[in-house]
Parts: sequence; C-alpha cells; structure tokens
Amino acid sequence: MKSETDYTGLLETWKKDLEIPGKPNEWEVKELMRGAGLPVPENVLLKAGEPLPDGPVPGVEAPYAVKLCSAEVLHKTDVGGVVLGVTAEELTGVLSDLRERFPGEHLLLSSMVPVRGPEFILGALSDPVFGPAVMAGAGGILAELYKDVAFRLAPCTPAEAGRMLTELTIAPVLTGFRGSSMDLEGLKTIIARFSLLAGAATAEGAQLDINPLVWTGSQWLVLDGKAVL
Amino acid sequence: MNKGNLSSLFSPRTIALIGASGTPGKVGNIVLGYLERSGAQLFLVNPKGGEIGSRRVYPSPEDLPEKLDLAVITVGAEAAVTAAETCAQKGTAFVIIIAGGFGEVGGRGKSLEERLKALPERYGCRILGPNSLGVFFPESGLDTIFVEHGDRALAEGGGIAFITQSGSVGVESLGLASNAGFGMRAFVGTGNKADLNEHDFLDYFGADSGTSCLAFYLESIESGREFLEQAGAIAAKKPVVVLKAGRTAAGGAAVSSHTGRLAGSDNVVDGAFRQYGIQRAYDDEELCDAAKALSMVRPAAGNRVAVITPAGGFGVMCTDYIESPDRRANLTMAHLAPATVTRIRKVSLPFASAANPVDLTAGADDTMFLETLKALLEDDGVDIVICITFFAPPSISKDLPEKMATLIRKAEKPVLIFTQYGPFTAGYLKRFYELGVAGFSAIRRTVRAARFLVERGMILRLKEAKDEK
Repeated sequence: MKSETDYTGLLETWKKDLEIPGKPNEWEVKELMRGAGLPVPENVLLKAGEPLPDGPVPGVEAPYAVKLCSAEVLHKTDVGGVVLGVTAEELTGVLSDLRERFPGEHLLLSSMVPVRGPEFILGALSDPVFGPAVMAGAGGILAELYKDVAFRLAPCTPAEAGRMLTELTIAPVLTGFRGSSMDLEGLKTIIARFSLLAGAATAEGAQLDINPLVWTGSQWLVLDGKAVL
Repeated sequence: MNKGNLSSLFSPRTIALIGASGTPGKVGNIVLGYLERSGAQLFLVNPKGGEIGSRRVYPSPEDLPEKLDLAVITVGAEAAVTAAETCAQKGTAFVIIIAGGFGEVGGRGKSLEERLKALPERYGCRILGPNSLGVFFPESGLDTIFVEHGDRALAEGGGIAFITQSGSVGVESLGLASNAGFGMRAFVGTGNKADLNEHDFLDYFGADSGTSCLAFYLESIESGREFLEQAGAIAAKKPVVVLKAGRTAAGGAAVSSHTGRLAGSDNVVDGAFRQYGIQRAYDDEELCDAAKALSMVRPAAGNRVAVITPAGGFGVMCTDYIESPDRRANLTMAHLAPATVTRIRKVSLPFASAANPVDLTAGADDTMFLETLKALLEDDGVDIVICITFFAPPSISKDLPEKMATLIRKAEKPVLIFTQYGPFTAGYLKRFYELGVAGFSAIRRTVRAARFLVERGMILRLKEAKDEK
C-alpha cells in the first residue's frame, strides 16, 4: 500500500491541474481516485468544443452510460444529464442531444457495468475534533434517507474497516445474506486505501464522496465520485 | 513544571484556603469545613485577618509560606487571579480556582483567564479551573466541592475516577450514583481547563493503581486524536467511558457532500471511540451505570445472557431488551445445556420454568435461587447472568443477598442484579454494592450495563489480538 506522502503529492499535482481551480468535475475526481489505487472503470472525457465521435470509442463499449461532466451542475440526474443503457446505434444521437442541451459542458462516456446487490457509499471528511475520517454505508440515491453509515478515523486498516462494516444494517449482504456473494475482503482493502487518500485530502478541509461503489459480480467499481474542496 | 505527578493535588500535606470564611453558608466556609476533615495542614487567607475558630487567618496570600502543595481559591474572578499569581510566585504546586466569570463570559473574563494560563509556564504551578468544583479524593479525605454531592455515601472510596468538565453534571451524577452505591476513586471538575485538562487526568488515573475505571464527561476535547490514542492505550488495561456532549457539525463544506450531511450528527465520534476501544455513554445515568458495572464486574467473554427471575413478566421484559439489536453490543438469550435444565428442574418448583429466562416463580426460596445461579454459572453456553431479585416472596430469607454475593464474587462470569422494590430498592442495591455486587433499579439499565460488559470483553479481545500481531 502506498505511503501517505505519496497521496499528498498526488493530491497537490491533481489540484494544480484542475480545469477550474477548486472545482473538480467528475472525470477529474475519478482520475484522482484511480491514481490513489481505487477501482475506477475506464471512462472517456468528451471535451466541450471538441468534435463528438461518430463511431466506436476505444476503451469503452456498448451499452454505454453517458453523463454530463460539469463542475457546476451538482445534480446531473435532476437536469436530465444522465442517459443510461445507450446502444451503439443510439450513441451519436444521445451525444449530440446532450451537447445541444448543455453547450460548453464536457460529457463523460463509459461502459454500462452489471450491478450485483446493493450500492455502497464511501466518504471522507475532516472532523473538527478528531481530524480525517472515512465513512462507509448503504449507498445510492437514498443514502441520506437511510443514514446507514459508520465512520472511522483515517487512516484505517482493512481489519478496522471490516469492523466498521459490521456496524451497518446492510452488513449481512457482505456475508451471504439471501445468497448474496460480495467480496468483503476486497471492500475492506478499498476502504483502507481510500482512507489514505482521505487523510491527505481532508487535511485542508476537503470532503470526498464515492457513490455508488458497486459490486459487478467479479469486482468493486467506483461509478461516481465527488470532491468538495 | 510538574508535568505528570498530580499526587500532591489529590493528597496535599499543606493547603491554603484563599477566601476562608467563618460565616456559615459561604462557599469559603463550606469548603473550610470539608478541608478540615482532610488532615492536611491548613493556611487560611481572608483580607479581614483575625481568626476562624482557633485558626489564624492571614490577611493576604503574600503572607503564606513558600512551596505549599495546594491552594484552593474561593474568591471572585479578579481577586482569584491575583491570588493565584501570588501563590504561583511562592512556589505553590497546585491551585484550584472555583470562581466562574472567566473565558466563558468573554471580554474581561477572557483576559483574566489568559493571565492564569501564563502561570504554569512561568512558575511551574499547575492550575485546575477556573470555574471548577475542584476535587474529591476519598483516600486522602480531600474534598473541595461546596455543593451537595453524596459525599458521605462516596467517602468510602472505590475504583472510579470521574472527570467532568461540568460541575453540576458531575455532582448530580454522583448524587444519583451514590444512592445505590458507587465506588469513587476521584472526582475532578476540570471547569474551563485553563491548564489541567482531560489529558492530564487521563494519564494520571490511567497509571494510578487505585483506579479501575475512568469516566469522563466532556464537552470539548483538546487535541482529539492524541486523547483517543492515549485513552485507547489505557483501555487495554482498564475501561475508559466517555460522555461526549455537544454534537458538532462537520464544518463549512458540510452541506454540499453526502458525507458531510451524513456526519451531521456525531457519527464520527461514535466510530472514533469504537476504533480506539473507548466506551461511549450518552447521558449522566448511563455514564454512572457503565462506570459502576465496569469497575465492579469482570468483562463478559461472550454475549449469551441467562436470566433468573421470580416473576414471569420481568423475565419476558428482560428477554425483549436482551434480544433488541443495539449498536454497542448485541446480546442473545443463552441456550441452556440439557444438564443445566435438569439441574434447575431438580431444585425448583414443578411449575417453574427451567428454560431461559429461568422463572422460579414467587414460590422461590433461597436454595432455588442459589442452586439455579450455580447451575447457570457452570453452563458453558452462558457468558453473563442477570438476576432479577425481589425479596418479597415469603420463602426468601433476609440472608439471600449475602449468600448470592458470596457466589457472585467468586464467579468467573459477570453477574448483574436488578431489584425493584419500591422505597427499599436503594437499600437493597446499596447492600449489594457493599457486598461487592453491582445492581440496578431498572431492567433497561441492567441490560444496558450487560452490554457495556460485553463491549468491554470485545475491546479486550481485540486489543490482545492486536498485541499478538
């Protein structure tokens, strides 16, 4: 596992390269997470002002997920900025429609992934008394309704992450509830790794969200990420 | 500066009382009354001079001898600072300032507090307070607490170091606790924490062989991470319970991230305490109950609970509480071994229920209680026993508490008592306390105490596992 210093360096370079200083977009957040060793699936940034692809795009395949990728728009689903399950034939049309509706914004293109079982959320913030902390819990759009989350101070070990997960109401799905089969060990490692990034990122007051983190049946994937600097 | 050794704060040989008064009801008079019982040599200060009783009164702190162990200052804020400065110059080791009107009121009070803060560095004198009730240390008889605090009941001492940022929460808790028996090693009111704070007392009582459990009421925690690390290290040896009051928001950026909104309550504190093996309480009653159970009863090796009751209804209620999920520690009703059930059947009435909860019925006598308790303690499937005891049934003798206590003290498993008998409750609980047995006056509180013992067991197993790595 990388040392904390690496994460600080990674973060500084990342901050410097942000397109809008202090306001990272989803693609940038995901690249940071990828750099921190988290499992981020391949996604292609279609920059504003650049011509849209008119055929297959290397690295991703149909069916696609197409998302608005903006530092300004907080709830992209609410404004119709997310189109899922796009076929190869539909792609050109969907892209040009989004481009028309959101001129001047980037688009993010990725492959649809199968999701097995419930979604998870991970988060990081700095507590005013205890410093950097990580969160894990039941994710998805209802995360804030269920409030099924637990915290640990960062950095936290995989074993500690495991104990944090046992506090969740949703915990049984990680240990075979109704035939579920999710990789608990893998999730613990991801949380531990995320906690190292959290330690560095939250030191200056930043907050990170990964929501959702999903299990595809063979791996965990970060499908969306956010950073509030 | 006297960094670690607080022993002359708790067991001073010489004490100056600044603000000593001969007028009954005045703080300086009440404290004087308490200090006279401590056996320390007293030096009284009051601008009026003269004498109080047979004791000479010095008109000014300037007249005090050098290098006293402790000065207790009961005068108002402004005069207290001047007196503290004089004491510090004269090499007094510890100063307790009872008056409020400092940092908590802002403005001028804040600058007075700043003057106090300068003293430790400059003169090496350590300050408790201001706005502190001071200390109560049964072993030495030192007591500076001028409000009613169950002092008689607590004077016999015990293992609990009780450190509280709020004076009134502290004394009210003690009043509550002392009703039913509570073993006090030390009471410390930290007040505004101009100098001595939770870190100092954590270190001191963590290392103190007379302390078996540390209980804190804190509104703010200085250097939070270090506090957790130190408390976590102590928790490997003795239980640390913290009531952290005052829930903090997660900061300015909070509203725009999911995490910020989800941390809005004090979920982070919860997780952090668990991570370090610190047990959390949420109100004064819980803090006292936890400290009592943890200081008197061994940790539980597992979470399987057996219940003995002479009344079906309480057994049912107790079962409901035990089976309710709880984030501290889930409990479960123990499945009794067939041999245990047979043993209980043999000693109990035909219409008693030998399954868990074991209902001995109102016809129970001493032998049924004691033999059942023995059988449960010897059942490998039982980790903890809750005895619901009423002493009303006619066939129960007056000696049952003593007989039970003898068994319970020897037991290798934790046993908790619930007893509820109107105006006699406190008497029974206190009697059990004096016999070395922890009891509570509500089912809910008894089961909650059991959770603390199970949680403590888990913490110890985890700490041991970490050591082995």
